[in-house]
Amino acid sequence: MRRKASLILLALAVFFAALSPLLRWYAFPRLAKIPAGQYQDMVLEAKDATLLDYGTMKARKVSKVTVVQTLKGNVEASEKIERSAGRDVVVWDSLSYVQGPDGKMVSKLPERYIFDAHSQEPVHATGESVDGDPVTRRGIEFKWPFRTEKRDYEYFDAQTRTSAPIHYKGTRTFRGVEVYYFEQTIPWTKVRFPKIMPVQGVTPESLAKTGTTRWYTTVRRFWVEPVTGAPVYGEESHKEELRGGTLLGGRDKVTAFSGDVKMREDYIRHTVDLVKANRTLVLLMTSYLPWGFLLLGAALLALSLYLEARGRRPGEPTPAPATDPEPVSA
Amino acid sequence: MYQLLLREARMRALIAAATGLAAALALVLAVTAMGSPAGHTSPRPLLTTVPQHP
Repeated sequence: MRRKASLILLALAVFFAALSPLLRWYAFPRLAKIPAGQYQDMVLEAKDATLLDYGTMKARKVSKVTVVQTLKGNVEASEKIERSAGRDVVVWDSLSYVQGPDGKMVSKLPERYIFDAHSQEPVHATGESVDGDPVTRRGIEFKWPFRTEKRDYEYFDAQTRTSAPIHYKGTRTFRGVEVYYFEQTIPWTKVRFPKIMPVQGVTPESLAKTGTTRWYTTVRRFWVEPVTGAPVYGEESHKEELRGGTLLGGRDKVTAFSGDVKMREDYIRHTVDLVKANRTLVLLMTSYLPWGFLLLGAALLALSLYLEARGRRPGEPTPAPATDPEPVSA
Repeated sequence: MYQLLLREARMRALIAAATGLAAALALVLAVTAMGSPAGHTSPRPLLTTVPQHP
């Protein structure tokens, strides 16, 4: 009876010991992925910002400019791309909607971002775009990969439609969460006018005829929780100028926007809580369960050996070691 | 005779270990093959108004 129990315990010991590495290195990379149907909104604010008044074409101080950012997973589009790409794909339709203190639209930037659901690598397929213009992204955008590393990443900038390094600048603690701090500087770059302008009747084409150009620079900062790769906080020191042309009435340049854009407090709290919960789920698969199963396997093996030893009859002779057969000589 | 018994005990232990290993492999393969459901596209729109709360 004891020997039967020891054999069952041995089978269970091997089961849990094998489950430990299988869970960590086989199941986790295949199961950990961004859900295709995710929906997320975020509100950021720039207090005491500078904003261009298109009526007078003069920059003025305003109390607050609000940025509403929405990410919406398009499941139908991702399934269509998955059939040809042969891997799990996420399609995010996003909108960055900027609203002035009077509630009127300042700008809006729609994007379609297509990426591998596991690795966060961009996937290039029809529809990948920024403000309706086709783009080919390199690197990441919005989110870092699971198990983020302490290194620089390529980060896509939607205004310039290019990717540039976002530098790892150290490990910090943000509201009780250990985070990696990343920073990217986009130098002054000439960028396109948005397809939809805040003034009716003004189009990018009509602006181009005036010879006025739009320039932009930003310093982007992210505090990223490394287990999930999710930013728990982000802010941007963002400046835009209009330069040259007949639109400015003889001036060289005028500020179109200048401000420090930061996440709204209630969204910070919500994001930190969400990331903490997701972090526990990821750690369950990468650390808690694998280590727990390994220890359980070792304990079961020890119990199995103990029962096997107890199961032997008293006075039973110990087995002699197997000896090599004597060589046969003719 | 004792060698025969020992060999039989070793075989039983080996079979038990193989059973445990096969069960672990089968479980992990089944779970990863099932994957997670894709879900559906949210009916909520891309926002053009400022939400009051998350």
